[in-house]
Amino acid sequence: MKLGLEAMASCFQGLIPAALFTCSKDGTPNAAFLSHVDYVDSTHVALSFQFFNKSKRNIAENPQALVRLIDPDTSQGWRLKLRYVRSETEGPVFERMALRIEAIASYSGLKGIFKLLAADIYEVLAVEAAEDEAAIEVTTQRRSACVDPVFTMQALQDLSTRIHRADSLERLLDSILEGLEASFGFEHSMILVSTIEEGTYVTIASRGYPEMGVGAEARLGEGIIGMVAEARKPIRISGLIRQMLYALAVQKRAHEQGIVASQRIPLPGLAQPDSQLGIPLLVRGELVGVLCIESTHPYRFHEEDKTTIELLGSYLAIAIQNMQLQERSTADVAVEGGGSASRNPPYVAIDSEPPAQKPAAKAGKAERELAYYAGEECILVDGEYLIRSMPARILWRLLRRRTAEGRAEFTNRELRLDKSLNLPEWKDNLETRLLLLRRRLDQKCPDIRIVPRGRGRFALELGCDVALVERP
Amino acid sequence: MIDNELAAFLEEGIGIQIGTRNASLEPNGARVVAVRVEDNGTHIVAFVPERAIKVVAPDLEANGQAALVFARPPDERSCQVKGVFERMDAAAGADERFVRDQWRRWLERLTTIGLPLSTLERWDVWPCVAVRLRVTALFNQTPGPNAGAVL
Repeated sequence: MKLGLEAMASCFQGLIPAALFTCSKDGTPNAAFLSHVDYVDSTHVALSFQFFNKSKRNIAENPQALVRLIDPDTSQGWRLKLRYVRSETEGPVFERMALRIEAIASYSGLKGIFKLLAADIYEVLAVEAAEDEAAIEVTTQRRSACVDPVFTMQALQDLSTRIHRADSLERLLDSILEGLEASFGFEHSMILVSTIEEGTYVTIASRGYPEMGVGAEARLGEGIIGMVAEARKPIRISGLIRQMLYALAVQKRAHEQGIVASQRIPLPGLAQPDSQLGIPLLVRGELVGVLCIESTHPYRFHEEDKTTIELLGSYLAIAIQNMQLQERSTADVAVEGGGSASRNPPYVAIDSEPPAQKPAAKAGKAERELAYYAGEECILVDGEYLIRSMPARILWRLLRRRTAEGRAEFTNRELRLDKSLNLPEWKDNLETRLLLLRRRLDQKCPDIRIVPRGRGRFALELGCDVALVERP
Repeated sequence: MIDNELAAFLEEGIGIQIGTRNASLEPNGARVVAVRVEDNGTHIVAFVPERAIKVVAPDLEANGQAALVFARPPDERSCQVKGVFERMDAAAGADERFVRDQWRRWLERLTTIGLPLSTLERWDVWPCVAVRLRVTALFNQTPGPNAGAVL
């Protein structure tokens, strides 16, 4: 029985360890387990070269190799007779493999230690079925869950329709995630946007998780999101649980050797995702954000979908950026044309520093302590972390104004002109930051609400008394 | 050669493959369902399903060179045993329980990396051929900077 490599896609997901057999020039066979065999084209595969080892030395002496692979769908065993062709240290195959390995390494605190040295390309001379490892009957449901294409034109069209209906950034972000579930079946997803701190990305919208996770951050180069942001390329990881275990084994060995791994970072959403897909949201080279999709299926995302994934990322990025620009321009126009919603003229910058005041407690109303830590630029509510960085500065400013002056309504415009906030003059993403702040409050402190009052203005509503405390 | 601790690990019920080569130094390999360490660790017997042994038997008989690789999820502990072929015989009926128990423990381990037992139910386990090797070298193969070191 023979089969082309194209039909063996599920074998190349790294779900079941493959075995590599080589032989030295003096005739000593060598056997090793492999973390991953990658499909290159119809006649070539790539093996990851991460550590100098006997297999690598043998191949230098004798280019013949055998790989035994298992199809995780059918359990059919396959024998691939190979001949080493070359090692690649750049190019699309190397990049794809290296990014996946680095993302896994960063989860284990092994970035820079557990890395791809080369993608070794082998020509496939023959493919044979292992007689003793026969396939099971595969049900239609099981097969379709694994290999059906998900990025169909119909699904893309459905998503597009949802996006076009969105009339605000908030609706747009939610529509994207709803559409990914309704049209593609991706139940767990999140969108992160860049923050004012270079190299930090914050979750602005999520779907399919027990907690919303808004405000959760990822740093450049850390985990799949950070790696996507750094490389600005999509990353797809299948069989994550097994690969994480492999990386942790390396970490343990590295520790025994005195190599200190950096701190592990938590996985973004699901406690045990088995596959992840990270998509950069790029517009003309600018990274608007990162879309991360997770699944408990071992290989939900397919390499052949990569082109569609990149296209989808560009489309979503343009939609998000357009909405950000539209919200900014309409916010400013609305305020200019419609007058101020506050007692202060909207054009007057808030540059005074009214002292924080503790409002008089009212009977029956809970009091919450909000502490602003100036050094860390973060706010804690009753001792629990709420938010940091620019959204924290904005909230603190609003709270101080409200308690000092009794003002409840504010405009985006006055925030933009407020020099104390130090917003960037160009692309301040204020509407995005306000949305993040609003959602974070909904999630962590619903007594304090930011309520939109039309384009460019909003109210800060307090369902509790607040005690404002500033700490260094 | 193989101490008691290592013998216990090898017989625990983990992933095992046997590697061989032919006269053209073309590598070959097959699945092993169980092993038994014998003679105070100087020898090891690999139980290979009958349909799998056909692939590597000519190599073993022609040049005797063999390598057994072992790996255990979820901690990925792995090692390699190099050996020289001594003989092979149809496994005795008395070994069937030993072989099947070791294979079952391996299948149970596979569930720790997310593989349902049902996917491997059609694989050959028995009858087996018992391949006896004289152990010549042991190597650590747990992934990491020390992989390849002599044990």
